[in-house]
Amino acid sequence: MNSSFLDRLLRNWLTLRKPLSRWQALGLGMSCVLLCLAGWWFVTLGAYESRIVGPLTLPSPAETFGKFSELWNDFALTRNILVTLRRVSIGFALALAVGVPIGVAAGCFPRLHAFLSPLIMLGRNVPLAAVLPLMIFIFGAGEKNKVMFIFVAAVAFVISDAARAIMDVSARYIDTAYTLGASRWQTISKVLVPLAAPTIFSACRQMFGLAFGYIMLAESIKIADEVGGLGYQIQIFQRRGFREHIYLIILVIPVVALVIDQMLAWIQRQLFPHVYGGDGMLRALVRITLIPWEHLKSLLFYRRLAAPAAATEERPK
Amino acid sequence: MSQPAVASSAHETTAALASGAASAPRSSMATVITGELTPPRSPNLLRPHVVEFRNVTKTYNAGKAEEFTAIRDVSFVVEDVADKGEFVCVLGPSGCGKSTILRSIAGLEPQHPATAGDVLVLGQPVVGPGSDRGMVFQDYTSFDHRTVLENVTFGLECQHLPRKQRDELGREWIQKMGLNVDTDAHKYPHELSGGMRQRVAIARTLILKPRIILMDEPFGALDPLTRLNMQDLLVKLWKEVQATVFFITHSIEEAVFLGDRVYLMSNSPGTILEELKIEPATCPAHEMQRQPKFLEAVYYIRDKITTLESNP
Repeated sequence: MNSSFLDRLLRNWLTLRKPLSRWQALGLGMSCVLLCLAGWWFVTLGAYESRIVGPLTLPSPAETFGKFSELWNDFALTRNILVTLRRVSIGFALALAVGVPIGVAAGCFPRLHAFLSPLIMLGRNVPLAAVLPLMIFIFGAGEKNKVMFIFVAAVAFVISDAARAIMDVSARYIDTAYTLGASRWQTISKVLVPLAAPTIFSACRQMFGLAFGYIMLAESIKIADEVGGLGYQIQIFQRRGFREHIYLIILVIPVVALVIDQMLAWIQRQLFPHVYGGDGMLRALVRITLIPWEHLKSLLFYRRLAAPAAATEERPK
Repeated sequence: MSQPAVASSAHETTAALASGAASAPRSSMATVITGELTPPRSPNLLRPHVVEFRNVTKTYNAGKAEEFTAIRDVSFVVEDVADKGEFVCVLGPSGCGKSTILRSIAGLEPQHPATAGDVLVLGQPVVGPGSDRGMVFQDYTSFDHRTVLENVTFGLECQHLPRKQRDELGREWIQKMGLNVDTDAHKYPHELSGGMRQRVAIARTLILKPRIILMDEPFGALDPLTRLNMQDLLVKLWKEVQATVFFITHSIEEAVFLGDRVYLMSNSPGTILEELKIEPATCPAHEMQRQPKFLEAVYYIRDKITTLESNP
């Protein structure tokens, strides 16, 4: 009885890549969080002098979470989160708007890719901490330099990931599209881009998480009158010696990142039902909004192509 | 559907090789079995050949160490027969340049353009791919992001045919391919079996009414039963669309069942060794393929290939 229980336990834990239910996964994750909290609580237990880790290094959980209302009310936590998010979002959106079309073009045309590759190489490997002071020279010391910092940090990765995703679409899809009468542009817009889109999206989802980390770096430098942002708050707390607040913000950031990531994951599932299953709500929405555009195209272009289509109908049998 | 010139008695219901046993293989040349088997001339003598290869050679990496000649000096003619398209099977071992011939007709790179010789379709040199030469590949090349209906109507969409008309046509073809319009039309390819995916691929090609249909081992990855069903379906649809079909296979049974004409190809560099005429199929594949006449034809070709390979 006892050994069979042990056997089962071992089998459950040590089977390679054994699938587990959503609740089991959640439970294991929560137990890790609880364990960390317990460790934190234990090392900061008791009076200041008798603690294993001193209060100047690490305040106790109770002291830390006790400051939450102060952080929320007096230091406007939500507003700071929104300011930070706004900067990342604008910078990242710019990087997407510039990077995806260039990346797609580079993926489609190897000559363009070869031409751009030194720039992409530079952009991917440039030390961002070193670029930060330069951003101030180029874009001034305001809101703009933070947004542009995110843009510069992300754009090269967006380009190279988009190009890679396009190049990874099997050549047989291009052959198929061509033999079905698609033009070069139609092959790009109707075949290559849609087939590469799930890969591009998931690469960008990961990159957004990184960009959220970079913004802290940009925000920690304040020169002009720009205000707010989580990174800026951390700097203020550090100067004032508010350890509790810093730890709280460090705990808040992953929660915010998780919420955003889950939102992006939802969008991803709804946009690409052919990859992730489900009913593809957003994809249907996109298609519905494109219907008027399609009607317009039919009106504009079909008349011209009607003649050869009719000719094949009447071809001698 | 009649095939007037095949010189075999009408009561024969099986595929049979009408002739050709005597011809000795000549390398680097298509051995055409002539005589009563020549396809009928169409009344209009100006009607150009559907496909003509004139001494076509394709060499990759010419002049370099890894130079490789896929096909050498291939010549053949598929004439435009009145009232029907021909079903041409290309039979040969893997890597003998079958696909090179097909992709040259399709105008796909890197097989197109040929290193030497001319590839003519309807009297015109091939300049690039087009929907008049539809192609079905062995790999399932369904567009994964499109539903079955969107896949089938892809070519029409590219012609900017209004949505309502193309969806109507698409549904019609989904029906013809033996798929269920109500349940299957809005599925994605990953929800379909291999056979169903190939049905979608064939529908997507035939809906454009191509003059020539190029099929590169389309049933190669299917299980034997599905394969027989697909062969029957193809024969049925082919009679309806009246296109010339080029069908690559390395299954002799498939070639004998489907083909009006079979080209036997040899290995590197690929050449057409022999051209054989075969009677059209008259009954479903699973019946046909166990009749003694049919098996005789299969064995005949198998022996032929063995002889051709042993003394080049």
